[in-house]
Amino acid sequence: MNDQAGGPVPLLVAEGITKSYGANVALAPTDFSVGPGEAVAVLGENGAGKSTLAKILTGATRPDCGTVSVAGREIAPGSPRDSLLRGIALIPQELAYVPQLTVAENVMLNRLPGRHGLTSRRAVVAAAAALMERLGLWVDPSTPMARLGVSDQQIVEIVKALGRESRLLILDEPTAALTEDEAAQLYRLLGEQRAQGIGIVVVSHHLDQVRRFVDRIDVFRDGARVFSGPPSAAGPAELIAHMLGPGVEDAGPARRTGSPGPSILDVTGWSTPGRSGLRDVSINVRQGEVVGVYGLRGSGVVALAEGLGGRRRDVHGTVTISGRSRPAMASPRAAIRAGISYVPADRKRDGLVLSQPIRTAAAMLVLGRISRWGLLSASAERAVAGASAGRFRLRHSSLDQPVGQLSGGNQQKVLLTSRLATDPRVLVAHEPTRGVDVGARREIHDALRALSDAGTAVLVVTSDVEEVVDVSDRVLVIRDGRIVGELIGEHITQDNAVRHAAA
Amino acid sequence: MTTEIHKSAAPDHDDLAPSSSPARASHAAALRAGAVQSLGIAGFLLVLVLVFSASTPRFLTGDNLAGILASVAFIGVVALGQTVVIVGGGFDLSVAGVAPLSAVVFAQQVNDGRAVVVALLLALVAGAIVGTVNGLIVTKGGINPLITTLGMLSVSGGVAFTLVDGQSVPIENFSAGFMAETDLLWVPNQVWLFALAALALAFVLRFTVYGRSLYALGGNKEAARLAGMRTDALAISTYVASGTFAALGGVILASQLLAGDGNLGKDAALLSVAAVVLGGGSLLGGAGGALGTAAGVLVLGTLANGLTLMHVSTFYQQIATGVVLLVAVGFSQLRGAVSGGVR
Repeated sequence: MNDQAGGPVPLLVAEGITKSYGANVALAPTDFSVGPGEAVAVLGENGAGKSTLAKILTGATRPDCGTVSVAGREIAPGSPRDSLLRGIALIPQELAYVPQLTVAENVMLNRLPGRHGLTSRRAVVAAAAALMERLGLWVDPSTPMARLGVSDQQIVEIVKALGRESRLLILDEPTAALTEDEAAQLYRLLGEQRAQGIGIVVVSHHLDQVRRFVDRIDVFRDGARVFSGPPSAAGPAELIAHMLGPGVEDAGPARRTGSPGPSILDVTGWSTPGRSGLRDVSINVRQGEVVGVYGLRGSGVVALAEGLGGRRRDVHGTVTISGRSRPAMASPRAAIRAGISYVPADRKRDGLVLSQPIRTAAAMLVLGRISRWGLLSASAERAVAGASAGRFRLRHSSLDQPVGQLSGGNQQKVLLTSRLATDPRVLVAHEPTRGVDVGARREIHDALRALSDAGTAVLVVTSDVEEVVDVSDRVLVIRDGRIVGELIGEHITQDNAVRHAAA
Repeated sequence: MTTEIHKSAAPDHDDLAPSSSPARASHAAALRAGAVQSLGIAGFLLVLVLVFSASTPRFLTGDNLAGILASVAFIGVVALGQTVVIVGGGFDLSVAGVAPLSAVVFAQQVNDGRAVVVALLLALVAGAIVGTVNGLIVTKGGINPLITTLGMLSVSGGVAFTLVDGQSVPIENFSAGFMAETDLLWVPNQVWLFALAALALAFVLRFTVYGRSLYALGGNKEAARLAGMRTDALAISTYVASGTFAALGGVILASQLLAGDGNLGKDAALLSVAAVVLGGGSLLGGAGGALGTAAGVLVLGTLANGLTLMHVSTFYQQIATGVVLLVAVGFSQLRGAVSGGVR
């Protein structure tokens, strides 16, 4: 194992690279190197500088100073193409592929085999199969890309990169969308590549997985590297402390203090069609209680969350809110009117209008309240936005700043803010901290707790087992569309939740 | 030990997606580019006026300026309707069929002896009907707006020809020519109408719940729906507005020429879109504004007028108009991209 940076001949060396945007130092002068067969983890919160580092290494961003060389030769700064040609491949979190084409066609896209501009399906499949066999990575080459799961898509992306003779893979949050098993499998495959001399850089938050895999961990904070060393040199708590900086304590999960009040939300006998639908699910949330619903992908948790948000018309069953029964909501509008605020899982796709200023986004659900005879009141809008921005520690320059300029965590806070502006009786938060950094994650969990203490029924629907353990007073586990387990008190542990979900 | 790890497992979406996020980032940039552009377009208009004033003495005269305004009133009104659709995330080519349809309806109704006001209202209703059909096909039928309104352009234009058997219908009642008359100052009524409509629409888009909802709809339809907005009804309303504005444009033309004709306003579709985009509109939806569009219309009108005065042939004028559109939009995108690339 290479405990020190780089072996005798480093694969990639970056020297003195630095980047500023105006007065904002995104990356202080940094040296970074990766040797053949070496695996490095880059950790840090949003804005810590790790994204800037990765962008400079892949040529997506031009550094203000410093050089990046591959195998001793300097690459043209700010040229993704040159980086690619020299063997550096970025595997982004949001994969880019052509869904209509097959695995083989995607793998061979930029160098389809053939003569005189003609290519044959069979030749493409054969070439891709040969490549995958050589690499020891296998996905059926004639399957259309769109039909693969995320983990297989990721493998295809890696095959594509290695097929281009890449010598260094930079993976951005490679396991964000994967289950534990799939993640373990991915790391096993990466390990095999590494044994053949491929260098690997993983940008991730999953400390546990990463620690087991890499030779070196670099932690960034506020644009500077604050830790660099082998995994044995720092435990998880220490790494988190490095990421958060001084003065931030890591508190354990905060559970309910008082006893729960009367029942606010009753979901009764919900069923939805389809393979990942619900089968006669009933759920109850009482006042002052945070209920977590946990399930793996395909378990039916998505149908539950979307049903409560009024996004599905195919739900059979009833909903009772504060004693009033009704059939499942047929539209998002009906859900809001019934007193349910639904926070969608994908904030960019379904939650926010990124071009809107913060104040507009925050008041999006209460246009009626901030207007009279259809005319908007700017002061009422600011009051709504200001009040709810205070609830979360929103980091922004002004309420006029477009939402799209905020970091993921702050965007999520704006989204939650907009959902709380209606003073809902029930908050259904679907994946409330997906793609959010550690600090913001804690602030959001604290806010959910505070909301529940104030009397709102809070239902957190999540596929993140750590989140469900952290935030819930009671955990319901869904598998194959049914509730298969209920955990309370000391039984709320990751092991128990995963055991029920995956059994 | 394990509890400490729990808190750290948040995946980090935005941190590092340089190769996949430009489409989304461009959305935020689009709005800012829009703001920059609506200022920029006014500056550009000023430059045009200065250049033409210096180049030819016949440009900066009261008569000529009034002439420019009179000539842009038609396309201006149509472009205002187009603004509503584009802000809401749609697109309306059928305006170039609605305008002649409404002109023909207006001419025929006046000739049939109906009061001018009644004829005007009937023409607007015709436009609103075409707009409703557009909106229903786009929302309920799920057909792409470009295809839908291209089809309706053909249908409404065809109906216009059919109504008059392909003939031009002269209007016999001269009081129908009210649009071109100058009742106030030296500016014809159609210009006042355009100015009033622009101000009213600017107010609606900026200060009302309806306007705010349209920007949300165009900016992110699913987000708007999940926020409880009636997205289908909103989208349909934009096509109705566009159809009605286009019909008003048709009446302006018919009143100006004292005739209804299936060939009127053929170039309205692309010119109106060009004006909206010049004024800061984005074909992705969620950006644009009435005053920006008005400025865009004035740029197009001033350019045509100035070049004509300088004896530039209409063929070169076409080329110049296209180049101006590309330069103006390209420039603003560049600025948007540069300032939007930094977080």
